[in-house]
Amino acid sequence: MTTAQLDKMRFELRRGVLVLAVLASLKQPHYGYSLRKQLQDGGVDIDEGTLYPLIRRLADQELLTSEWRQGEGRERRYYQLSELGSQLLAQLTDEWQNLNNAIGKLLLANSGEIE
Amino acid sequence: MDLVKRYVAAVQRELPDNKREEIGRELEANIMDQLDAQAEQNGPLTDNAIASVLKAMGHPRQVAQQFAPIAPLIASEHMQIYRYTLFMVLGILLVLQVFNSTANWLEHDFGLLLFVKSILSGFIEDASFAFTTITLGFIVISRAKPQYLQQAKEWQVEQLPSLQASKQHISLQDIVTDLITDTFLLAVISYLLLLSPEDLAGKTVWLTAHTQQVLLLGLPLLVVGVLLSLWQLSARQWNKGMQLLNIVLNIGFVVIMLYLAFNGPLLQIDQQNWPQIYGWERLQHAATWALLIGACWPAYEVIRDVIRLRRLSLSKIG
Repeated sequence: MTTAQLDKMRFELRRGVLVLAVLASLKQPHYGYSLRKQLQDGGVDIDEGTLYPLIRRLADQELLTSEWRQGEGRERRYYQLSELGSQLLAQLTDEWQNLNNAIGKLLLANSGEIE
Repeated sequence: MDLVKRYVAAVQRELPDNKREEIGRELEANIMDQLDAQAEQNGPLTDNAIASVLKAMGHPRQVAQQFAPIAPLIASEHMQIYRYTLFMVLGILLVLQVFNSTANWLEHDFGLLLFVKSILSGFIEDASFAFTTITLGFIVISRAKPQYLQQAKEWQVEQLPSLQASKQHISLQDIVTDLITDTFLLAVISYLLLLSPEDLAGKTVWLTAHTQQVLLLGLPLLVVGVLLSLWQLSARQWNKGMQLLNIVLNIGFVVIMLYLAFNGPLLQIDQQNWPQIYGWERLQHAATWALLIGACWPAYEVIRDVIRLRRLSLSKIG
């Protein structure tokens, strides 16, 4: 498999999961850079070009609320999970856990066969 | 910080008016946070270091597209039929322009270069109009509520065609070809028949009264042909009624074309003004042969549909 193919598949794999990671991180208010930092510290590396438009898209869908705040001599737009976003996050979390368990078993079973 | 301002302004230029200020403001705040974090780690940033950060964010146009993706003018589900329509209409216009320029060339006997120029300029003029009209039409269709979404909700597995019936599938290309050909012929014949005597006065070659009467009989057939194509477009599957109608329609076309071919003359020619380089008898012969060759296509469709109808009946018995 070429690097380009691998990158494309990683992108496909991560795309849906990133929404879950962003929603989960926004239980507490964050501005763009602090959210990116929190995700990075948690082991989810995401570039600015993907993250910032994603947050705006989620806010447009009313899954996040946002407000401009002044701090450290600069204005920043803070985002936080809305009521609708919290409901969606709960549903997506269940979905993720079911999927993770099922795929985990499949991967374990297949690794056993390979050995 | 001039570089940051320039970068944000470059992104804003690519954004729609209603999003420009809000996204620019937020993007600048995000970039400044990132630069501050880097400065904390590495000390004051040089212009080169700032440029590297901005370059890593991507080209301003790319960044703007991620914030405000551009919706395609023509929806992807209409793209195939749009392509076929353009291909067919532009093809017909080119053929028509070649005929038109050839007729002018025979009448006025100008040079080869002017003949080629006449074809190209006429085609480009017609093609620009056709392209604009078709594209605008499809943009309007794409903006309308997509019908396929409703169909996607209401479909039933049991309604899917059987494996034998899948041979009765009508390709989109065939439907569009028939629809455009019938509409085009309808428009051309109506135009030819509606020309006033004043318009006809300057013509060297024209249709005889007999030809015009027969063509008038063909108009209802063409209307039925257009309606049949629209029916096919909604059903996308041959059925007995559709096959029978198509057979009757094509037999009608074959009869009219053969009748015209064998009951000439097709054209009336002003022999005084007709150039001597090309005999008018040869022109009549060419028109007759064009009709005979043209009749082969509907004749082929009659044979094809009879075979299909037989298969359809057999599959139902089976």
